[in-house]
Amino acid sequence: MSAITVFSAKKIITMNPARPTVTHVAVRDGKIIATGTIDDIQGWGDYTIDNSFKDKVIMPGLVEGHCHLMAGGIWKFVYVGYQDRIDPDGNDWPGVKTLEDVQARLADAEAKLGPDEPLVAWGFDPIFLMDRRLDKTDLDAVSSSRPIAVMHSNFHLMTVNSTSLSLANYVADMDIEGIAIGPDGTPNGELQEMAAMFPIMRRLGINFREVGRSRESVIDFGKVCNRVGVTTAADLINDLPDEDVAEMTDITNGSDYPIRLMSLLNGLAQPAEETSARALELKKKCTDKLRLGAVKIVTDGSIQGFTARLRWPYHYNGAPNGIWNIAPEQLNELVAILNEAGVQMHIHTNGDEAIEVALDALEMAKIQKNRPDLIHVLQHCQMADRAQFRKMKRLGVAANLFANHLYYFGDKHYELTMGPDRALRMDACQSAIDYGVTFTIHSDAPVTPMAPLFTAWCAVNRLTESGRTLGEYEKITVAEALEAITLGAAATLHMDHEIGSIEVGKWADFAILEDDPETIGAEKLKDVGIWGTVLAGEKHKIP
Amino acid sequence: MTIREKPLPMTVLAGFLGAGKTTVVNHLLRHAGGRRIMVLVNDFGELPIDEELIATREENILTLANGCACCSMGGDLFAAFSTALDFMPPPDHLLIEASGVAEPKRIANFARAEPDLALNGIVTVVDALNYEITRSDARLSEILKNQIQTAHMLLLSKCDLVGSQDIERHKEALRELNKSAPVLAISNGVLATDIFFGIENPTLGIGPTEEDEHHHSHESDFSRWSFKAEGAVDKTGLLEILEMLPSSVLRLKGIFKSSEDDQLWTVHKVGSYVDFSRLTTPENFSGKAGFVAIGLSSSNLTEIMDKAFATLD
Repeated sequence: MSAITVFSAKKIITMNPARPTVTHVAVRDGKIIATGTIDDIQGWGDYTIDNSFKDKVIMPGLVEGHCHLMAGGIWKFVYVGYQDRIDPDGNDWPGVKTLEDVQARLADAEAKLGPDEPLVAWGFDPIFLMDRRLDKTDLDAVSSSRPIAVMHSNFHLMTVNSTSLSLANYVADMDIEGIAIGPDGTPNGELQEMAAMFPIMRRLGINFREVGRSRESVIDFGKVCNRVGVTTAADLINDLPDEDVAEMTDITNGSDYPIRLMSLLNGLAQPAEETSARALELKKKCTDKLRLGAVKIVTDGSIQGFTARLRWPYHYNGAPNGIWNIAPEQLNELVAILNEAGVQMHIHTNGDEAIEVALDALEMAKIQKNRPDLIHVLQHCQMADRAQFRKMKRLGVAANLFANHLYYFGDKHYELTMGPDRALRMDACQSAIDYGVTFTIHSDAPVTPMAPLFTAWCAVNRLTESGRTLGEYEKITVAEALEAITLGAAATLHMDHEIGSIEVGKWADFAILEDDPETIGAEKLKDVGIWGTVLAGEKHKIP
Repeated sequence: MTIREKPLPMTVLAGFLGAGKTTVVNHLLRHAGGRRIMVLVNDFGELPIDEELIATREENILTLANGCACCSMGGDLFAAFSTALDFMPPPDHLLIEASGVAEPKRIANFARAEPDLALNGIVTVVDALNYEITRSDARLSEILKNQIQTAHMLLLSKCDLVGSQDIERHKEALRELNKSAPVLAISNGVLATDIFFGIENPTLGIGPTEEDEHHHSHESDFSRWSFKAEGAVDKTGLLEILEMLPSSVLRLKGIFKSSEDDQLWTVHKVGSYVDFSRLTTPENFSGKAGFVAIGLSSSNLTEIMDKAFATLD
């Protein structure tokens, strides 16, 4: 029989209501064999005690239910965001607070590049677009010979310098949508949406999909998770060709790889029957640390991009309604086929009309064939109203709510996109609890930074960047938020029998914390220090 | 910086689900007339190519016996455009079959922005059978309206399945939404390739159509007109002429030397869309300016065009 290791801690928050807090957890073969006091545990036989965490707090390993592998690879570009961030290797990247800071950061990076390399930056924050927009002259001051491209944090805009503009022949006003024109009548360097950005990206060799699927990116993604206490993360869209699956299997099998990785198949890249067959084939390739077989379906766009599908009365500022990526009747067919085949679906829905259409599709599919073995999940699900939560409950559909939006885009939703009524009830965690809907909360990293305790802070405090409280009623308690980022997320990934709580039989996956999230105070939840994680009983200290 | 020798002309084929885009694509591929057409399908159904046309399948690219190719975009516009632009041997024409819910203008913008692509127009297929039903669905009415309003040419499909009064009513409704785009009634996806893709080479003048006469009975509905001019042409004046042409002029292509900059230019027009491009292969210029147009026979094309171009020099 293999050995038992017992970890002692100042406090262990288990998420198991039968034993909510304990001081010791015993691990054998990577799994939890016992929890409690040392007396409770010793009946299992000989053990080795590990006191590394005696001054720390242990929680179930945190689960990020919606992010992207690109959160790792994106760091090959220079970070120019407003918020402080730490890269996968632990380097601090203080937020840049002025356009001069942005220039200094870029100049610094420029000096380190080889002669033919373009300078590419990411994370540029829209907060800088309030009074004066970044333009080509700001970037020309950094270099007038090397092409520069600064990707904005939403990935829908970029600002480039004159050298980049001339590479794409953007030298005069060609009256093309998305190529912004300055007061002198020539392109000012700001490019909006993929069509206008494509010629620059093609010539500078910027390919975000390739960035996400590279070996380095998958490895760095693990580091990003480890830094924020995450032991299981879901990569929410991937084409998953065989060679990528083989590489992901190889990387995740490494004992030094600190997370269980779930990766979802893109459901809009091939006909429904092929998607279904491929998902079932992928499911057979699951390992303990690589989970496959679920499908992602994108229905509408984003609220901040005015591309979410809304019901009446539509956008607060009168902008036209958003876009569909799949027609409602096609969605009905796809959902019915996947449900029938037993494939779990994660359906991207931001606006309330997209949510309605997705719920109608799921309802029809479930009338045709009930699959009580499947929990389908509405991803983002930001504008769901209470009637829609009741319907989710009725249908056994779960929600992954985009709590980070409350902070990052909440002011914009209040003032511009949704108006007060609907902004105050968006990402409605309390409504999910009221109606017993299984739910979790997420970051969508790299769209917003991954850090489940920050995401929990957002759901608990509902504070916007400017300090406005975005709806008192939908605030949830710290305990509820902690459950959402552990068991809740595990349930949406069909993994709550394996992870999400510290109880007998589950994987010994822990987040090791410097502070106690239950007592630090709701307003400080985001400031809880993190030592690292334990995965299947193996320690992964943040380097 | 252009990477290709000359820009790849690109046409966006839009239209709601079931409107008949696939039928049009298959007709065009059957009657490619030597053009190597590359079709990118921006949807996630089966690649819509008739089985007997397919010569080889490799990964997700189908190759046809006549040199055409077809490939799924898989929801990734970036990768799809890169594939098309790097494809060997280079195609003569790129045809994007947009998804039923796509805004065609967003796709067309790729061709307007990318120096290695040239927009050849947006063609929207409207289903004469189901148009009114889709228009009345609040979830879809805006996208359908968008597809119609941003088109440079409208094809009213399945006209063999509806009465002539209905055809007229639909045409009228379409004209109300889009005054500048010609509306063509089609059946079984049948449409002359040079109306769809534009006239290949204006210096060749007008010749008999390459179309198989058995496949369409509409050729008599269309007339051709051509014009040659000695000396340079006033480009601004030409633009004014082109902008005044009625929508019964379906396609126009020209090649000329501009009196403003002494450079060689090509121009093409479809609906309200006029595009001037610098001629990158001057050996194709015979020394004389040449213009070719295709229009509806019923509209007295020759008279309209002769009158319009009388003021050119």
